[in-house]
Amino acid sequence: MTDYSELFGRRSPVTLPGAPDVMTSPAIAAVGQRWQCQRCGQLVAATDRLPNGDWYCRTCLQLGRLTSRDRLYTIPEPNCFARLMAGGLTWNGQLSSIQRQAARAVQKHALAGERQLLWAVTGAGKTEIVYPALAEALARGWRVAWVSPRVDVCLELAPRLRRDFAGVDQCVLYGGQPVPYRYCQLTICTTHQLLRFNRAFDWIIVDEVDAFPLATSPMLQVAIDRAQKTQGSCLYLTATPGERLQREIKRGKLAVTYLPLRYHGYLLPPIQLKISWRWRQQLQRGRLPAGLQRQFHLWWTARRPFLIFVPHVADLPVIMTVLMKMGLSDGATVHAADPKRQEKVQGFRDGEYRFLLTTTILERGVTFPRVAVAILGADDPVFSTAALVQIAGRVGRLASDPGGQVLAYCHSNARHVHRARAMIARLNRQGRRRGGRPC
Amino acid sequence: MLTCVWCGRSFNLTVTVTMIWQWRPLPQPALCAVCCARLTPINSQHCPQCGRQQASNTCCRDCLRWHDSLRNRALYCYDEGMKAYMQQYKFQGDYRLRLGLQASLRTALDREDYDILVPIPIDAQTWQTRGFNQVTGWLTGQPFQQVLTVTATHKDRPQSAKTRQERLLTPQPFELVSGASEIVSNQRVLLIDDVYTTGRTLRHAARQIYLGGAKAVTSLTLAR
Ligand SMILES: [Zn+2]
Ligand SMILES: [Zn+2]
Ligand SMILES: [Zn+2]
Repeated sequence: MTDYSELFGRRSPVTLPGAPDVMTSPAIAAVGQRWQCQRCGQLVAATDRLPNGDWYCRTCLQLGRLTSRDRLYTIPEPNCFARLMAGGLTWNGQLSSIQRQAARAVQKHALAGERQLLWAVTGAGKTEIVYPALAEALARGWRVAWVSPRVDVCLELAPRLRRDFAGVDQCVLYGGQPVPYRYCQLTICTTHQLLRFNRAFDWIIVDEVDAFPLATSPMLQVAIDRAQKTQGSCLYLTATPGERLQREIKRGKLAVTYLPLRYHGYLLPPIQLKISWRWRQQLQRGRLPAGLQRQFHLWWTARRPFLIFVPHVADLPVIMTVLMKMGLSDGATVHAADPKRQEKVQGFRDGEYRFLLTTTILERGVTFPRVAVAILGADDPVFSTAALVQIAGRVGRLASDPGGQVLAYCHSNARHVHRARAMIARLNRQGRRRGGRPC
Repeated sequence: MLTCVWCGRSFNLTVTVTMIWQWRPLPQPALCAVCCARLTPINSQHCPQCGRQQASNTCCRDCLRWHDSLRNRALYCYDEGMKAYMQQYKFQGDYRLRLGLQASLRTALDREDYDILVPIPIDAQTWQTRGFNQVTGWLTGQPFQQVLTVTATHKDRPQSAKTRQERLLTPQPFELVSGASEIVSNQRVLLIDDVYTTGRTLRHAARQIYLGGAKAVTSLTLAR
């Protein structure tokens, strides 16, 4: 018998000959006077017509071009999965009592098919908190996707899920993935890849829901809705919900589970504000403010690994030169488009580098033990409130070392820095009420 | 505010004194400065035959091996940036990207001396799937004559999938359309193509045009 599972719950421009129950529709459909892509839902610009008369969609071009000549094919999701023992869960770690409470709430909302948010501070162990609900969902034969707008979050998550849910068939999808698509009960992918699915998932877990580009892309939000079954639901995970989600919470449209404490029970390290007058002008003269120099020296000689965040990629080489002149060797610079990015981050984790000088890319989902953080130019608009809270969240992730410094160096009095400090203070107030210990 | 066709970002046009002085409508660049910088224009230091960028103005080694007198000029080096452009334009089929290089090609064509412009054709299969000829996409109203066509029996893998040796051995893929001789006879023809890689394709095309009675055949490519 031929295997047609490739089309289950997909939205594919190629069909399999002889496949039963295939539903098909044109890839670019007329909507009034205009044309709309049926994969990404965006309207085709009036100018995007090919000389052979076809229309094509530029918005989802990266997934392979669709023209008005193409059709999309799908077979309604049949949930053809083998029965699993314990939902495939092979993790035998323990949740703390606070985590267990949150895990029960998440599971209850999931089984009730409710849209929900898990608002957990950085370092709360939110991935593990989802495990009991995920195991239950998989045991019931649900098809599940764990997605994130950021490919690095997917890449860090995939090996963990492979290890902790060893009994479940899984596949990982992102632009340029090395292995082809395969029908699996658990899919880990970027939110972009959801455009290729049609009513496939009973449950979608959206990790780092407030991260770029999902937060600003209506197209990707629609992708999540359409990849869900009509009876399906989703769970958003974040430490820093944006305004849209906060509004939905207020209106009661979203079930919320709230976890203001880290897994080790310590509070979040506060952001210390340091005024660093005219640091850019000093930098032009090849210097850093004395206070900064002292601080970096202190960390460096104490062999405490540290991250220095700077606003722009162009700042990296300039500041690196100054640091080298100060005698701070064994550091590296990393930015989003750095081809050696993965190696450098791993090198820092392994202790090969004593510090990393970086732009905002390392703010999420990346854990380094014992790390300290300095944010140079924290008042620059590239650092949003959410980004600053996330950056601060890199510190004190280990139970053996829950403290650690987060220093924000500003030239001016910045609204974002104050908001971030206020958000952390609010979370810590909540945490203290639940017995959190200051670090 | 303009929008870059390649990266999609908005950018501002920097107006220079010369632009105002020229008293012409302001140009509407399709690429932002960052995307422009991804492409490397070929300067006056190039091979007199194939037009490749090099340190001297003497004939390059590839051209010496051809023992002929083809004359090609190219606008850009075929480097990482140009490969990325071609990947999106030609292979992903993003037709709108044609706007990115139209202005450069217009300037280059204005400098060339020719009677008839002949674009290298694509085969019927490619026309069906890609939906456009990548070469004519760069033209902005310059008259051209499609006197060449890809032979119907010419079944071939794409040039880009072949090694240099295989490319050089490619048999003649073109023939003249009926009535082509009346058009090219005794004329100076300029062939136009996307990339000069080995020069095999352009030489095949030039040979057919000469057979049609052309007086001279030269060529222009976007990249070398
Ligand atoms: Zn589309
Ligand atoms: Zn651009
Ligand atoms: Zn040459």
